[in-house]
Amino acid sequence: MEIKFTHGLVDKYAKDLMFELTEEENQNVLDEFEVIKENMDSIAGMKNISDVEPMTHPLEYEDVVLRNDEVGEELSVEEVLSNAKDKTLEEIIVPKVVE
Amino acid sequence: MEYVPTIGIEMHCEMKSNSKVFSPAANTYSKHSNTHVSPIDMGLPGVLPTVNKECVRKSIMMASILHCEIPEVLCFDRKNYYYPDLPKGFQITQSHMPIGIHGEIEVPYGESTLKVKIHDIHLEEDSAKMEHLERESLINYNRAGVPLLELVTEPVFHSIDETIAFLEYIRRVYQFTGISDADMKKGQIRCDVNVSINEEDGSLGTKVEVKNVNSFSNIEKVLECEIKRQIQLIDNGKRDEIEQETRRYDEATNSTIRMRSKVDAIDYKYFVEPNIPKIKIDPDWVKEIQDSIIELPLSRRNRYQALGLTSEDIKILLRERTISDYFDECITLGCEAKMASSWITSIILANLKDEESSIEDFKVQPKDLAKLLSKVLDKTISNKQAKEIFDRVLKEDILMEKAIETSDVQISDEAYLDSLVKSIVEAHPSEVEAYKNGRTNLFNFFVGNVMKETKGKANPVLTKEIIEKYLQ
Amino acid sequence: MKSVLLNIHDKQKELDRTFDEIQEHQKNYNSFVTLLEKVPLKEETSSLLSNVCYALKDNYSTKGILTTASSNTLRDYIPPFNSTVYEKLEAAGAICVGKTVLDEFGMGGTGTTGHTGVVRNPFDTSRIAGGSSAGSCAAVASGLVPFAIGSDTGDSVRKPAAYCGIVGYKPTYGMISRWGMLPFASSLDHVGIFTRSVLDAAIVADALKGKDEKDMTTWDSSSIHLQESVENSKDQKYKLFYIKEIVEEENYSNIKENHRQVIENFNAVLEHCQKNGILVEGVSIDKDLLAKIPSVYTCISCAEATSNMSNLTGISFGPRENGSKIDELMTNFRTKNFSPLIKRRFVIGSYVLQSENQEKYFVNAQRVRRLLVEELKKYFQEYDGLILPCSSSIASKIEDAKDMMKKSDDLAILENHMALGNFGGFPSITIPCGKVDGMPIGLNITGNVYEDEKVLSLASRVEEIIEEEV
Repeated sequence: MEIKFTHGLVDKYAKDLMFELTEEENQNVLDEFEVIKENMDSIAGMKNISDVEPMTHPLEYEDVVLRNDEVGEELSVEEVLSNAKDKTLEEIIVPKVVE
Repeated sequence: MEYVPTIGIEMHCEMKSNSKVFSPAANTYSKHSNTHVSPIDMGLPGVLPTVNKECVRKSIMMASILHCEIPEVLCFDRKNYYYPDLPKGFQITQSHMPIGIHGEIEVPYGESTLKVKIHDIHLEEDSAKMEHLERESLINYNRAGVPLLELVTEPVFHSIDETIAFLEYIRRVYQFTGISDADMKKGQIRCDVNVSINEEDGSLGTKVEVKNVNSFSNIEKVLECEIKRQIQLIDNGKRDEIEQETRRYDEATNSTIRMRSKVDAIDYKYFVEPNIPKIKIDPDWVKEIQDSIIELPLSRRNRYQALGLTSEDIKILLRERTISDYFDECITLGCEAKMASSWITSIILANLKDEESSIEDFKVQPKDLAKLLSKVLDKTISNKQAKEIFDRVLKEDILMEKAIETSDVQISDEAYLDSLVKSIVEAHPSEVEAYKNGRTNLFNFFVGNVMKETKGKANPVLTKEIIEKYLQ
Repeated sequence: MKSVLLNIHDKQKELDRTFDEIQEHQKNYNSFVTLLEKVPLKEETSSLLSNVCYALKDNYSTKGILTTASSNTLRDYIPPFNSTVYEKLEAAGAICVGKTVLDEFGMGGTGTTGHTGVVRNPFDTSRIAGGSSAGSCAAVASGLVPFAIGSDTGDSVRKPAAYCGIVGYKPTYGMISRWGMLPFASSLDHVGIFTRSVLDAAIVADALKGKDEKDMTTWDSSSIHLQESVENSKDQKYKLFYIKEIVEEENYSNIKENHRQVIENFNAVLEHCQKNGILVEGVSIDKDLLAKIPSVYTCISCAEATSNMSNLTGISFGPRENGSKIDELMTNFRTKNFSPLIKRRFVIGSYVLQSENQEKYFVNAQRVRRLLVEELKKYFQEYDGLILPCSSSIASKIEDAKDMMKKSDDLAILENHMALGNFGGFPSITIPCGKVDGMPIGLNITGNVYEDEKVLSLASRVEEIIEEEV
């Protein structure tokens, strides 16, 4: 299934990523996309690789220890709020979130 | 036209543990906001998740209870989307290798049972909490990272009753096993409900999802109004207007409202979480967990039914595991089932309610109740006397044995009285002689002696009979 | 190369010199985002790094100290916790002189995309220092500090080290904790070290390594003693291989002069190695497979990066933007504060993860990753290490440094092979090996996982050989 790369599609991708592109930026994406698609398709087109296990981590671990269920370090309320710009004494304020 | 609804449930339940599932911050309720937050829960730059062993243990336990297949490897995925209550911009969950798949569980349904097929159960983390004011929302990260067990059923329910029966039972199982407090009032349970109306040929109709329903009574309402909505469309020849979409429940209008359609469906771009290695699940550990599973409510119900208890009483005994365990201990100690049940369900629980305490801390423990009830059983004391002794134990804070001993209870043990009378008669041969020679008022001498020995508790009727026997 | 760390005789003098020179250094090379205040010498610890000055890449969290990843999204971010690397250096008594510039979030190879400007190469300030760990590299290359910490996701320590004539070491994945290191691509990210000698890299790595309960990908390296191994490896015999498809001239059409000189230098090094008892053999690896390296890297790194940066919304940290609705707030923040390059990378990342594309692009890239890694591991059964030139040329002029994706040419494998070290988590180190056109070049030695002792010892030997022969 061929995906046609258009300005509209690029804008949609950006929207899904929660940012906007200028016309110039949009065009740069499209320009790069020729190359990207070629690269990606070269991977997609490789023969006989569907039996290969995808490598999700560089190492395999034999004895991973799960964390004991004990309460550990917590931030203070001040620390939680320390980088927030809009806050009460206890919470972070954002514009009202409508479902 | 008989419409058959088909319903499937995704039930999210907050688990019980000391710390969160991927961070060491406390997993606890707090009145204040942002008091139990780790940098991990806030999704601060550079943080890494660490997996809580107890949460994994409990997930494996539930997967086993649901008779699911458990994979060889523990593996987590990222579910990517943007929302202000999701600080990392992704949720760590299990999508391609859940901790349990293809299960089935039998749940009590009315007087019998219902078999429910389970699609999967998986472990994931909860999002932060938002409080919505008039123009602003406040974010509290205490809930971010709290462990969640998500249970997904196959679309197997065909009535609201079946659905609720299942949910009630799962909640009971969570509470009994300690996997979760499953407290709806604390918002610990959230469900997504999938509803469709079967086609005429019995195949599945278009499925509509209603998200984030937070109580069983709301689930009932959601099912009612959504089924009604779909049926109405079908009745008006508009079945094709039922779209595969996501809706939410609006309490104010008691209706479901569209959130987004299938076309707008979010692509979560699931991929394996690179910061958590794939972990081999030790089959010995799984077996250990399975062996530790306590008896489930359904099995207990069946046992109690076989013991002849009423469904009212069974319902009460199964309200909490500690109550059921208390009852079972009494049975083990020899109590008669119906008697123990009636004592627990009416007298003990009434007492606990007044005192606002739990049955584990109650002054009368199974061994005490067993002692008391055995006296009633062997007719040493009456039920009324037993209640008096019970009250004395609570009021006077004394041991059950002491209370029984020092009680105004009659001794009706024939063998005991017999041997007592015998020994008194043998000790007073001259009085026996005198009685037999006409001094009938000496009868009371013997009665008096028995009374003296038994501190006045000897059953007078029996005593008289036995003395008469020996003085013949 | 003599160890700098073992030869610091007057720590106060060094401290004074460093802080005396730092302003000038900053003016000349622009290595730093944040300069820290000079503090008096601390009480000596048992560590060799005690009271030694160093520079720290600004993608390592430092509690109470600005940490920006050279991005506007974090231009005012002050972490409330420390990275493990910083904690260990503090515990060792080392003195951090400043947080260094990187390509934004580590996503670049030139050192030109950081939000505080371009980092200049100490050998030639009209040229780049390389990236992404540009500032840390320049700080060591200029002689300001004896060691600096960087990070390496595709070659971000090892390539700038080559361009600036110093040592750049990337240990086995998970040997040093990533807790608190702002991520680029989590399955490829490694902590990296810059020094001016291999032995110093071993010393620093010894101080930083260790299993960390905060990072599940770390492992117990307590039986590994890097400095000791390097110091005691004098008489070891080694066997190296290089990949013919990357080294041999016949693979390139229109070979440029610098490239020719790089190969000439490389071959000379190999000859010296052979003369000194290190066996070197060329092996052949399927060129089509090798040609996939850049695509596999782009695909996996962009995908993971896109997900990793989803926490940057301006809600709980970062310069909050305006928005009457929450969506607006988040969108404005990300639109204004991510650079255009980063946004382009995110679009790629999003593209390969789309449900309709994921299997054929992202998951297949993960499969090819495994194929490449297994191919190398095959050779690591027979050889102690892989030796290759780091690049076809020297550091480019700043005005020529672009980060646009370009069509693969025949230089793609040579310019990108170091990503193999990230694909497999292999220990990998760059050492300087000479100059071309007056600018430094480096060669890269990569070994099998967990064999850091061997790789460093081997690299130290080659380092020695290079020095002796020059």
